[in-house]
Formats: sequence, structure tokens, C-alpha cells
Amino acid sequence: MQEKVLTIEKTGTEAQTTPRGWVVRSKWMHHLLTFLMVFGPGLIVMEADNDAGAVSTYVQAGAQYGTRLLWLIVLLLPVTYFIQEMVVRLGIATGKGHAAMIYQRFGSWWGRFSLIDLQLVNFLTLVTEFAAIALALSHMGVSPRLGVPVSAVALMLMALTGSYRRWERITMLLCLMDLGWIVMALKLRPSAAELAYNSIVPGIPAGGITANLMFLVIAIVGTTIAPWQLFFQQSCIADKRLRFADLKWARLDTLVGACFTIVVAGCMVVVGSAARRHGISFSDPAQMANDLRLIAGEGMRTGILLLMINAAVLGTTAISLSSAWAYGEVKGWPHSLQLPVKKAPGFYAVYVLCVAAAAAIVLIPGAPLQLIILGVQVLAGIMLPSAIIFLQLLLNDKEVLGDKYVNKRWNNWVNWTIIVVLFTLSLILAAQVVAPRLFPGS
Amino acid sequence: MNLMPYVRQMASDEVPENHFIVVHPLDDIAEEKVDTSSLGPMPMTRSVKYSLFALRAYLIAMGLLVAYHVIDLAGVFARQ
Repeated sequence: MQEKVLTIEKTGTEAQTTPRGWVVRSKWMHHLLTFLMVFGPGLIVMEADNDAGAVSTYVQAGAQYGTRLLWLIVLLLPVTYFIQEMVVRLGIATGKGHAAMIYQRFGSWWGRFSLIDLQLVNFLTLVTEFAAIALALSHMGVSPRLGVPVSAVALMLMALTGSYRRWERITMLLCLMDLGWIVMALKLRPSAAELAYNSIVPGIPAGGITANLMFLVIAIVGTTIAPWQLFFQQSCIADKRLRFADLKWARLDTLVGACFTIVVAGCMVVVGSAARRHGISFSDPAQMANDLRLIAGEGMRTGILLLMINAAVLGTTAISLSSAWAYGEVKGWPHSLQLPVKKAPGFYAVYVLCVAAAAAIVLIPGAPLQLIILGVQVLAGIMLPSAIIFLQLLLNDKEVLGDKYVNKRWNNWVNWTIIVVLFTLSLILAAQVVAPRLFPGS
Repeated sequence: MNLMPYVRQMASDEVPENHFIVVHPLDDIAEEKVDTSSLGPMPMTRSVKYSLFALRAYLIAMGLLVAYHVIDLAGVFARQ
């Protein structure tokens, strides 16, 4: 038997092993098994984007405008897929993370800017995730002083096992728990005809273009396509060591993840619109869950609160990892979930620090959470178009990708259109910050 | 679905003819990727350079605007 040396790049670890695999007779089984082995990063990056902030945004959209904005969420499916597909190509071709690529190809100013902005937005987002956990737990009768630290410790243990596969399996299980949103939405018996119409036919809700509507549209776009996703999926693909032959399966993984996420997001809108239909007004999803109990029973209340916690946990592990991977790549530290803690102390320290500090801030009485939520939305809105411009430039870099993996002409047309739309939304957001009375009030 | 009757595990050099082997990426031999570290900074046309410079100015201006707005919302200016 021939012995082969397996070297994990950038981590410095070496292991002597003969590659072992599953032997199958049929081609379809070969395809199925290969897909299942590659499956993960695409689903996780998409579903983790349905985090606590997304739950709040989508149910608010439902509460304010019913299902009238579903078309916008459906429209974001191809957008989110196209953007993440570029990340997949870049990750598989280079085997490196996004932060490392920006540093290497655009120099230290842009490298530092991207890293600092990413860390700042990620950290503020993490605070909102723990705020949602605290809120949901308090509605369930569990003290946040106990529940938040327990959640933080569980999140740390998830990543500290020294096994990428273990982390991925746990995280995918959490992703699948989001199927609960579909159950919740179906239980509220929405009109199928109305859902289909509002998903396909674009339209502006009654009342026209108001400041509220503009802010909600920007929030929906900002929550569906977030800067950390670019960094997370590329690093995740590099950590999982996906091969060139895995590209088509990684694309399918991303497409499945995008479809699942959009369906789940649509279900959140349906739940919010049910509250509106029954004349329930709320300031946060936990309060909505409490009030929906009167209509749909105790199961609905508990289900929504648990799904809120699940969304926050998923968001926290993915966002913290995107920070830890990016920092590790730029600093040149060993940065892999496959490594034990003692071999990648810096990488795990960043992860633990992100989780612990965000959890601690939430427990401070009188912490300015509303200000933090506003900061997340605005900073993410500013960062996203520039992050996608770098992605676009990298995907046209023939020195890195060669003719086979570089963007085709139609890719560039689609992506420049997305960039123009995102920049316009970013400018509208800026205008609203400078002149809050630019658009008529709701 | 139970896949076990259809699949079995073995080393990659023992695969019989007309069979396929599926190796998990983490168990496979690391394949050679594009060596980006030797490439250096990306060559850019003058228009791309100016565009990135404009982007840098836009981001700095937006960052300052957001910082001012957040400080204002926190009530720092009102107290003075």
C-alpha cells in the first residue's frame, strides 16, 4: 500500500495517511455521495444570514406591509447566489480566504480597512445576536444572566473541538431546525394565491414610497446580503479544502442554501403578516410570539422564541468564525477548525473573544443596544458595495483565476448591475442619515 | 435511505475496475492551488486606480458621517 503525505497548507500540520473513501458502483451514487461530502459551507453561509437581525427585519416587513414585499425577497435569491458563487470560485481556485486575497492583491490600506470594518460590523452584529438570545430567554422565563453565559460557552465549545466536520455537522443541524419557520407559517394558514401573487408581481405597498418603506427595503437587502458572508464562505471552503472537481457541487450547495434561506425568510414575513392580520402590533419578535399565542396557541409562542435563539446561535458561530479566519489569514497564524486549540491559539482566541465580549456587553445594564443595531445596519450598508467591488475585481484577475475560473462577460454585467443597485441604496441610506425628512413619513 | 448496501469504505489504491471512489475533501491529498503569494499587488489601469481612490474618499466621508450621527444620537452634543 502506497503511503502518501497529506499537508494542510498554512497550518503547518502534517499527517501521514492513505486517502480512504467510499467505493460505489453506480455513477448517480458517486454524484450523490460527492455532493453530500461537499455540502455544507453554502447552506451554512446562507442560513446563518437568517440571524436575529434578519428575523426582526422580516417579521417587521410582514407586520407593516403584509406579504406585499415578498417579491423583493424572491428577487434577492439570484443576487445572493451570484455573489456567493464568485466567492466559491475564488476559494476553490486559491485555497485562501477573502481577507488574505484583499491584502495580497490590493495592498495593506485596503487590507486593513476591510479587516477593521469587518471586525467592527461583525462585533456589533454579535452584540445584537446575544441581545436577541437574552430577549427570547427572558420571555421564556429564563434569566439572561444565566442563559447568555451558557449560550456563549456552548458556542465556544462548538468550535473548539478541533474537528471541522464536527462543527459543520452541528451547524447544519441548527440550519435544518429553521424548517420550523415553514411549520409556523403553514400553521397560520396564509392565502396561497396571495403569497404566489406577491412573490411574483413586484409592487409598492399602499401608501407609496415613504421613509419607513425605504429603510425597510435597505434593511431587507442589507440583511440578505451581508459583507461577512463573503469572508466566511471563502475561508470555510479553504478550511474544508474543497478541490477544483468539487466546484459544481459547491455551486449546487450554494444554490440549495440560497433557496432554503429565501423560503425561510418568506415564512418569517408570513408570520409577521399574520400578526398584522389579527391587529397585533409589536416592537420585537419575542413580543409578537407572546401575542400570537392567543391566536395560534402556546406551541407557536415557544416555537418562535426557540427559532429566534436558533437564528442568533447560527449567526453568532458563523460571524465569529468569519472574524477569526480573517484575522488568522492576515496575521499569518494557523487558522483551521481542524487544528486543536494548542496549535492555533490565536485563531481560537479571536473566536472566543468575539463571543465572550459580545455576550458580556449584552449583560451590562443600560447598554445602548438601539444605537448598536443602527450602527450595524449603516456600517454594513456602507461596507457591502465596496466589498463586492473587490470581489468583482478579484474575479476578473486572470493571474489568479486563469481563463477557466475568471468571470465571463455575462457575470460582469450581472455583478455590475448588482453593485450599482447596492451603491444607490447605500447613497439613499446616507441621504437619510444626513436629511431624515428626505422621504415623506409613513 | 440506508446507503450501506451500496457503498463500502476502502483505500483509494484498492478500488476495483468500473467502480467509483468518493473521498471527503478533508481526507484527500491536498491539491495544488494558485500560488497568490508570489504574484504581488494586482496590476491596475489608471481608471481603476482613480476609481479606487474615489471609493476610498467616499468610504472615509461616509465613515465620518456615521460616526457623527451615532455620537449625535448618543446625546453627546446635546449635553455640551
